[in-house]
Amino acid sequence: MFQLTELQHDALVEIFNLGVGRAAAAMSRIVDEEVTMSVPMISFQSRAEVAKTLGSREGRRISAVAQHFEGAFNTEAFLMFPEEKSLEIVRLMVGQSFSLEELSEMEQEAMSEIGNIILNSCMGSFANAAGKELKGSLPTYLAGTGDDILGTSGKEWDGVVLTLKIDFNIERHHIYGYVAFLLDMPALHDLQCYIDDYLAKLMG
Amino acid sequence: MQLSLLQGVLKTVRAGIIVIDADQRIVFWNQWVEQHSQLPADGMQGKPFSEVFPDMVDGRTHVAIRAALENNFASLLSQTLNKAPFPLYANPGDAANSVRMQQAVHVMPLEVANLPRHCVVQITDVSMAVAREKKLRDLATELESQTLVDVLTGIANRRRFDLHLDDEFRRAKRNGTPLSLIMIDVDYFKDYNDNYGHQHGDQCLVQIAGALSSVLNRSCDLVARYGGEEFTVVLPETNEDGAMQIAEAMRAEVEALNIEHARSGVANFVTVSLGVSTVVPEHLSKTGSLIHAADRALYQAKRSGRNCVVMYTDVKKKAE
Repeated sequence: MFQLTELQHDALVEIFNLGVGRAAAAMSRIVDEEVTMSVPMISFQSRAEVAKTLGSREGRRISAVAQHFEGAFNTEAFLMFPEEKSLEIVRLMVGQSFSLEELSEMEQEAMSEIGNIILNSCMGSFANAAGKELKGSLPTYLAGTGDDILGTSGKEWDGVVLTLKIDFNIERHHIYGYVAFLLDMPALHDLQCYIDDYLAKLMG
Repeated sequence: MQLSLLQGVLKTVRAGIIVIDADQRIVFWNQWVEQHSQLPADGMQGKPFSEVFPDMVDGRTHVAIRAALENNFASLLSQTLNKAPFPLYANPGDAANSVRMQQAVHVMPLEVANLPRHCVVQITDVSMAVAREKKLRDLATELESQTLVDVLTGIANRRRFDLHLDDEFRRAKRNGTPLSLIMIDVDYFKDYNDNYGHQHGDQCLVQIAGALSSVLNRSCDLVARYGGEEFTVVLPETNEDGAMQIAEAMRAEVEALNIEHARSGVANFVTVSLGVSTVVPEHLSKTGSLIHAADRALYQAKRSGRNCVVMYTDVKKKAE
């Protein structure tokens, strides 16, 4: 699978950590409570591998928020949590318990907003580092297996998935989730160029 | 012709549309906004967003507007997390009482020919959906209260306890047999939660529920979660000695779980305090007095150093 150099990898981790840090600050303001987020690791995987990590084979259900970004490069971005974790996050954020085992319509919208904040912050941080602009769509809420969401059973596709593991903390609850960016070969190439430009600028 | 058609659409649409330019000035808002803000669009044209909505400066909507203008990002502000950001009212009555309309807000970048990027703010009235979900939530809560099992521990819940105690109390009254009740509280449980987190706290309660249940073997005996970290046990046809024996066995069983508790004031593992009361119900006695007596005994157990069992009759003797 595709690999970055160690330097490129570290730069990207730093950029995304800046992004989720900003998202956490925005979420803290909403709930008036400390929310922290970090990206402990990033990796490049195939769609099938990501779906496997998300438990697609066991039929595990995921809730996801998807957004399309275009401009500097094109990508479909996803924030994904196991369904029961997204219930936990939304209900912690909203501060209301609800015994239903699925997100209600209003809760889905709240989850979309959370995804919107995190994805915009990640891409904003990246666009800022690259000195480029990306246009971001509105978020869409999706639920299903990792396969359903990433569409592995769909058309042939030769790209890779950049996944960030996200460590999310709210009210002493630790919740892991994933952000995934679907990148085709041209997008991957663009991404690498931007990281190199960023590193070159840093090195002066 | 086409322009007037578009103007007609904007006028008719059942959602608020506000257009903001690159300098964060209001360019336009539609009739829906006029109607619900009670501010005429003409007077607002060219005014800065921060002047028209001073209490929204640097809030979520303002940040989203900047993200659209500066970064080309679209944002969604859900009603659930933001309630009612804009001072919009369903009708003049609500406006007079400052009751805002429930809103969902979308902020989207808008490319304009020959001008720097603008943004569109779309506001939807979601009051109906909010009311619908409130009804759903109330129903779910009601349903939950009608079930008899505690969701966390799987033992009987408070409602099952109430029903069971009523039944057994009536039976004891009829047969003139003794009925005992044990109230149990986990010692320093708040400190346990603070120290180990709520997830461990939950696990601890599950283990304790298991330990308490393991002591009982008659089908008419019932252990229930009374609330929070409180448990209760109903023991029909059981006198003071019998109830004391069971309470002591339960105390020992929880101790034997040996769940580490570094912040406990009595031991370095999790312990419980127990209060026991027994009655042979008379014609006019009520379940409330039995619960009250066990509660008093539990209180005394707490005062006597915790991790122990106290019988209500002993509390009464001391008071006399």
